[in-house]
Amino acid sequence: IKIIVIGKWRLGVGKSCLLLQFTDKRFQPVHDLTIGVEFGARMITIDGKQIKLQIWDTAGQESFRSITRSYYRGAAGALLVYDITRRDTFNHLTTWLEDARQHSNSNMVIMLIGNKSDLESRREVKKEEGEAFAREHGLIFMETSAKTASNVEEAFINTAKEIYEKIQEGVFDINNEANGIKIGPQHAATNATLAGSQGGQQAGGGCC
Amino acid sequence: VLPLRRRAGAPSGSPPPISGARIQKLCDRVASSTLLDDRRDAVRALKSLSKKYRLEVGIQAMEHLIHVLQTDRSDSEIIGYALDTLYNIISNDLEEEEQEENVPKQADDLGSQFTEIFIKQQENVTLLLTLVEEFDFHVRWPGVKLLTSLLKQQGPQVQQIILVSPMGVSRLMDLLADSREVIRNDGVLLLQQLTKSNAAIQKIVAFENAFERLLDIITEEGNSDGGIVVEDCLLLLQNLLKNNNSNQNFFKEGSYIQRMKPWFEVGDDNCGWSAQKVTNLHLMLQLVRVLVSPTNPPGATSSCQKAMFHCGLLQQLCTILMATGVPADILTETINTVSEVIRGCQINQDYFASVNAPSNPPRPAIVVLLMSMVNERQPFVLRCAVLYCFQCFLYKNQKGQGEIVSTLLPSTIDATGNSVSAGQLLCGGLFSTDSLSNWCAAVALAHALQENAPLKEQLLRVQLATSIGNPPVSLLQQCTNILSQGSKVQTRVGLLMLLCTWLSNCSIAVTHFLHNPANIPFLTGQIAENLGEEEQLVQGLCALLLGISIYYNDNSLENYRKEKLKQLIEKRIGRENFIEKLGFISKHELYSRAAQKPQPSFSSPDHMMFDHEFTKLVKELEGVISKAIYKSSEEDKKEEEVKKTLEQHDNIVTHYKKVIREQDQELEELKQQINTLKSQNEQLQTTVTQQVSQIQQHKDQYNLLKVQLGKDNQHHNSHGETFQMNGIQLEEVSKLKEELEEWKNKHELLQGQLREKESVIEKLKSSQLEMGTTEQSSQAGKSGGSELNNELQKELETLRSQIQLQSTEISKLQSENQKLQLLNAAADPVLGDCGATTAKNSEVEGRLLQEVKELKNEVKALSEEKASLKQHLDSSNSTVAILQDQKSKLQQEVAESKKEQDDLLVLLADQDQKLSALKNKLKELGEPVEDEDDIESGDQADEDEDGEEEEQD
Ligand SMILES: Nc1nc2c(ncn2[C@@H]2O[C@H](COP(=O)(O)OP(=O)(O)OP(=O)(O)O)[C@@H](O)[C@H]2O)c(=O)[nH]1
Ligand SMILES: [Mg+2]
Repeated sequence: IKIIVIGKWRLGVGKSCLLLQFTDKRFQPVHDLTIGVEFGARMITIDGKQIKLQIWDTAGQESFRSITRSYYRGAAGALLVYDITRRDTFNHLTTWLEDARQHSNSNMVIMLIGNKSDLESRREVKKEEGEAFAREHGLIFMETSAKTASNVEEAFINTAKEIYEKIQEGVFDINNEANGIKIGPQHAATNATLAGSQGGQQAGGGCC
Repeated sequence: VLPLRRRAGAPSGSPPPISGARIQKLCDRVASSTLLDDRRDAVRALKSLSKKYRLEVGIQAMEHLIHVLQTDRSDSEIIGYALDTLYNIISNDLEEEEQEENVPKQADDLGSQFTEIFIKQQENVTLLLTLVEEFDFHVRWPGVKLLTSLLKQQGPQVQQIILVSPMGVSRLMDLLADSREVIRNDGVLLLQQLTKSNAAIQKIVAFENAFERLLDIITEEGNSDGGIVVEDCLLLLQNLLKNNNSNQNFFKEGSYIQRMKPWFEVGDDNCGWSAQKVTNLHLMLQLVRVLVSPTNPPGATSSCQKAMFHCGLLQQLCTILMATGVPADILTETINTVSEVIRGCQINQDYFASVNAPSNPPRPAIVVLLMSMVNERQPFVLRCAVLYCFQCFLYKNQKGQGEIVSTLLPSTIDATGNSVSAGQLLCGGLFSTDSLSNWCAAVALAHALQENAPLKEQLLRVQLATSIGNPPVSLLQQCTNILSQGSKVQTRVGLLMLLCTWLSNCSIAVTHFLHNPANIPFLTGQIAENLGEEEQLVQGLCALLLGISIYYNDNSLENYRKEKLKQLIEKRIGRENFIEKLGFISKHELYSRAAQKPQPSFSSPDHMMFDHEFTKLVKELEGVISKAIYKSSEEDKKEEEVKKTLEQHDNIVTHYKKVIREQDQELEELKQQINTLKSQNEQLQTTVTQQVSQIQQHKDQYNLLKVQLGKDNQHHNSHGETFQMNGIQLEEVSKLKEELEEWKNKHELLQGQLREKESVIEKLKSSQLEMGTTEQSSQAGKSGGSELNNELQKELETLRSQIQLQSTEISKLQSENQKLQLLNAAADPVLGDCGATTAKNSEVEGRLLQEVKELKNEVKALSEEKASLKQHLDSSNSTVAILQDQKSKLQQEVAESKKEQDDLLVLLADQDQKLSALKNKLKELGEPVEDEDDIESGDQADEDEDGEEEEQD
């Protein structure tokens, strides 16, 4: 499954950190500005099936926007990330969401992430506001901390689960790789129900 | 159909002049004619002129052609002609072909100038992108070719335009899905240009599943047996992967490495390889190397290396290595590839060590390869590749190094001489007459010693039999002998590099070296002399070796102590002169080339002078040796002293660290004990509560019993109604009996519980004792717990004996009861014939009365016992309270010991400060000081080293 991580620029909302925490279980305190796009991957298990998440972490800087747009089309899911300690990152969500919706496959699962939940004292965006925004736009919502790893697993795995359910409902055409989903050949025998397991689901990353 | 770029047959020679007017007329028709047919004919005419009159058509028609592209999109034919014409104007392909035929070059780079004009309007490129999406062959194909040409002429600019146009890159990816081979193949060529040195585009192309598509094409075309399409796909893959870590990671994570394995299943009939196949295989091998290049991040390379082992790719490559009939350049590249797949990766190195050549008897692949390395008749590049392979096998592989060195040691040499060992081949190479073999063998042997001090010592044991009749000489001795005999520069450089590596960081080897009285005069002689330019390198290396002999000297030989050697330098050579000579090494023109990357590659055999690892050693030692030479012996002494104090401080720190660690452990243990104590306490408390309630029950029952007994007495007092009374008595007795029975059960229960409690207390006691001991070991030691326990134990003891008393009384009671019963039974028949036996009856009655009285007394005693039992339970309750108190005391003590630890930490920080102050002092003195951090976190240091390595590469 391809998932992308998207979100707003300047000072960084923590997209790369989320990915690093998810793939390497590490936190990187210094901001290492992402240039263009970086790739990361991890295996997870859903319903006893091995699923490989391929995640593209995109740059949040406006100047890379045209590049990051190229990644919407092929992604099955996106994590839309803002920083709960900076209201402007939250205010920009609508623009990013429109952009994502416009360039992506209509079935793309979008999860809204309020990151840096460890910085409660500097919070500028209430959790309720995030929830309300998600409800309004039909997104899944979660607050995470790439620093303490709180909810990081859940964010990626829940996105993958949502995609997985959509696959089982037949919403995604799994034979079209442009949807960001690829059935792995290696476990075909183990999941007769799905005509093969999710050996190669991919996650595309987005940026906020 | 071949891609156009490879089509030959362009017109040559200068074309006859043409009137500009004719072209202008055509342009006017294109611009102003209202009839589509007319415009189409005009464009076609322009197309036919565009090859011969490229400049003229370009200048006059470009604008009109672009206009056609914008306005006549509905007619694919005219669009096709326009695109073709533009292609002819812009592309230099035809010109290049002509150049190959030695036709002098036309106007300087018309193509790129026209391209500049075309892309000045970005919309032109965007327009072209939409045309390429058109399915019609007449539009799509020339569109692809034109775009490819634009990219070739002005790559970066066109890339940028495509990158910012929405989905630009993604749309071009769709070309690979075109079922028409021509378009698909030219699409590959287009993508090749598009991805050239642009990481952002490379990533998008990879994201759009390029790996999958390209690998599919390669498979469909028959892997290495496929045609030029396979070559083009491989070149594109190389573009996508080379120096692009993100894509390499994606390639690996996407399990595409596994798909490379079949590429190398080349079968056994290796005769008659086509040129295309050789090219394809070459590119395939290079692609493997891109993934495991020593210049990649270490983590990335090592995960790819492992994947290559696990999917069998390495094994497949080793098969090619050992196969016969493989063309020499493929074999060489395969060796280089295997080298990088195993470099620094233990499992792969272990596997490689186990590979055997399919000869009879089977020989290890390493031995077979080394044979080629020291064989003069083998091609130079092949010998370099083997050396590289051997170096990669030994890189960070202590096990492999040990195995190689052990083949040289006296104890393991195969006396039968049946099989050649690696060690024998290396020695043979070291002392053969071929200087290239000398150099390679010396460097190979140096790699077996790299960063492995124990092996450096081991190698000192190696003895060589020179000629019959002469005693054997040591390997070290033989090396210095050859050195002093003045052989070729290459030989001497190789041997000196070996000696420098051998002696560095190994005082025993230095001592062995100095032990030979000829060595130091030889070195000073070499350095002191004024020799020609070609000898400069040897002089530098001699200076380095002398420097190492000083720097790693442990002063164990009186005549060659550090100061003596330094005095010698001053006297015979002069410090300045010595430093200058030492500098010859890193100033050598071939030095920096070797420092760049691990692979030995030399433009000619004469240039084979420096080894990559050796350049690292030089970098490391050049500075410290210079410093060591300038240092006075006084400074040396001071330094030694500072070193000693530093060591002392280190010891203190280590000691405190140990103490803290121990205390930490104790703390942890204490915490655990408190937890157990807590839970035991809880258990105890519940037992006590249970017991109290049971005692209450017992008391109640006793009261009841008392009341009933009182009643009983009343009955006894009323005489004359013996019958009735007897009846009642009988009833009462059986009730009594029942109750007694109940009592007995209860007592048993009580006893059981008491026993339980006792054991709990016992446990508590022992754990407390344990705690006492640990605390004693950590600090003063605490009493109290055991005292308390003793008290508890005593109380328990009394409790127990009382219970025993109770139980004996109960049994007494029981037996009395039984007696009573018996009497009652005896009374029955008497009562049967009543008249005759009244006297007897009264006697019985009296006795019974007495019995009951006794019984009453017993019960009273019993109830007293009960009360005391209760008391004891109460006291045990308070014991528990005391215990709890004790526990909190313990907790406090734990807190105190934590505090103490904090104090220790402060002390440590103090100590640290002092240390760093000392270090600073040391630094001021000019002594390199290892940071404590470096010592502590060896891993980190390793990583740093890797980083450096990268930079060098
Ligand atoms: N306290 C806290 N800091 C975080 C968290 N996540 C990220 N950061 C910090 O925020 C900064 C930016 O993180 P990045 O992950 O590099 O941000 P980014 O979104 O990838 O930024 P761009 O690549 O420029 O778009 C870094 O200094 C991180 O250490 C978090 O959950 N808690
Ligand atoms: Mg980032």
